Amino acid sequence: MKRNDLIGGFFFLGVGIFFAVYSRSVDIGTMEEPGPGFLPLWAGILLALLSAALLGKTFFKKFEQGEPFFPEGDSWKRVSMVVASLIAYNLLLKPLGFILVTFLFVAFLVRFIFPQTWLRTAVTAALSTVGAQFVFVTLLEIQFPKGLLGF
Amino acid sequence: MEILNHLLQGAIVAFQPVNLLFCFIGVLMGTLVGVLPGLGPTAAIALLLPVSFHIPPVATIIMLSGIYYGAMYGGSTTSILVNMPGEAASVITCLDGYQMAKQGRAGPALGIAAFGSFIAGTLGIFGIVLLAPPMAKFALAFGPPEYFSMMLMGIVIIIYMSSGSILKDFMTAIFGLLLGTIGMDTIAGTQRLTFGVLELADGIGFIPAVMGLFGISEILMNVERIVTTTLVTEKVKNLMPTLQDWKDSIKPILRGSGLGFLIGVLPGPAPVIATYASYAMEKKLSKTPERFGTGFIAGVAGPESANNAASSGAMIPLFTLGIPANSVIAVLLGAFMIHGLQPGPMFITKYPEIFWGTIVSMYLGNAMLLVLNLPLIPLWVKVLKIPYSILFPLILIFCLIGVYSLNFSQVEIGLMTAFGVLGYVMRKFKFEMAPLILALVLGPMMESNLRLALLLSQGDASVFLTQPISAVFIGISALLVVSNMIPAIRKRRSKFKEKLGEDDV
Repeated sequence: MKRNDLIGGFFFLGVGIFFAVYSRSVDIGTMEEPGPGFLPLWAGILLALLSAALLGKTFFKKFEQGEPFFPEGDSWKRVSMVVASLIAYNLLLKPLGFILVTFLFVAFLVRFIFPQTWLRTAVTAALSTVGAQFVFVTLLEIQFPKGLLGF
Repeated sequence: MEILNHLLQGAIVAFQPVNLLFCFIGVLMGTLVGVLPGLGPTAAIALLLPVSFHIPPVATIIMLSGIYYGAMYGGSTTSILVNMPGEAASVITCLDGYQMAKQGRAGPALGIAAFGSFIAGTLGIFGIVLLAPPMAKFALAFGPPEYFSMMLMGIVIIIYMSSGSILKDFMTAIFGLLLGTIGMDTIAGTQRLTFGVLELADGIGFIPAVMGLFGISEILMNVERIVTTTLVTEKVKNLMPTLQDWKDSIKPILRGSGLGFLIGVLPGPAPVIATYASYAMEKKLSKTPERFGTGFIAGVAGPESANNAASSGAMIPLFTLGIPANSVIAVLLGAFMIHGLQPGPMFITKYPEIFWGTIVSMYLGNAMLLVLNLPLIPLWVKVLKIPYSILFPLILIFCLIGVYSLNFSQVEIGLMTAFGVLGYVMRKFKFEMAPLILALVLGPMMESNLRLALLLSQGDASVFLTQPISAVFIGISALLVVSNMIPAIRKRRSKFKEKLGEDDV
């Protein structure tokens, strides 16, 4: 796939250059006595070279219609909703507290990704919250943020 | 006699109640992830890494190995009953297994898969006992140049075996190496590439990276479309294969075990390759090749034995060289490191209780799988009926809580999410995960061996070629890379890869 390889090539070209440049802020050392920047510098350069080779190879290829990025029309909605809810979990963990945010997270995903009935949603969310509380807090004694509401 | 003493020592460890318990948990979890399509052993071991912080090292290794070989048992159940592989190593079992189920012979198919796996597992353990100690002795002579070259070879072989383009695989491997350099330098202790983020001082956590790349990204792939599972039959009876079934299967089981074990010792996605190799071999050797694919029991027995033997074989390079042969073992190696254990030639002499304890526990685990699995099949059938729409939120919440419980760090939740998205996009763009993860695990070791080798040789890079053992490793790596540029070989390789598919192995 031409488009994919071009995007990937540019991404890794950037990563390689980035590491090669950044590694110079620490001691690179010499061949006799390589320092902490030695590997990041050379690996970064190598990655940039390989990416350039991929870009060069891809550039001269004919454009072909490959499979689309998302297999179904509404796939992107589900994927981005899952990613968004992972980010939201992280942001809301402190303010809402472990129990509430866990319940909401599971409920949201069960209800809206592959929509289930409200009854199923409530039961799954409640059971998984109780289960998580029991395994991680009661058995493994892990401390979680309590949240502004105090639980 | 020495071996008997060792095995006795191992038995004492393995029979401790806590280790028996974790062995049981491991094989049970392994069967579960094997049964569930869309959750492979790599992801499962990654998901359980945080939990392993809370239990002793021996129990951790016993439990995580149990997941690996347990998954090989579980995968066949889904292949036979749903015609959908529970994990990559059971793809081939669908061919004859599903046909047998359609003819009402699901019972004997499941039965022979379990018996075959048990026989193969037992033989595989003998193989480890015989091969591992001499291999470790051989590797004792290795110095920094040999280690560096060997790890390089490991990565090159994984790249050669994986299903993408070699150029792109090298890129992901170097990307993994670079990610591994973030944080503290192993020799001088200097902070580097932390970009001022305090949490990066210890490096990018291996666990958030692996959980993101394998766990989260796999779920993102799975939520793209709705997959429904339809069971061919809900009532499974007559698990005992008949005498005729045994006659048809015993030779494939034995051959599959031997072949699988040998393939397992070599680097690469061994269990998957082993199943294909065994199926092809049985078809060639059989007097009635036309029966394969129509529900012939030998087509289930051979491959299912081979994948189990391969998973035992893959333990040898891990324990004796500290080199993971595939991504499942790479994650397992990560678990060793979390507990401060460094597998390598000295491992067996330094930690005999862990090595022999794990070996004996593998035998116990195989026995547990045989005894438990057949009666539990109705339970697995129920598990298969849980819709994915309910399952995946539970897996996600487990990831979130697990990763947070490591250091109580929300930065690590963020890292895991970021790696999940990165892994998802990379999979879409056909950049393979296996080279990345292997390089990420081996990176710090490779770096310190490279630098030590250069230090010892006073900057003379030719040391990698003048040391004979190292030269052999470099030669093999070069041969693999060059051979791929010859069109004829390249064609064969891509044909082979097409067969393997892009499954996560």
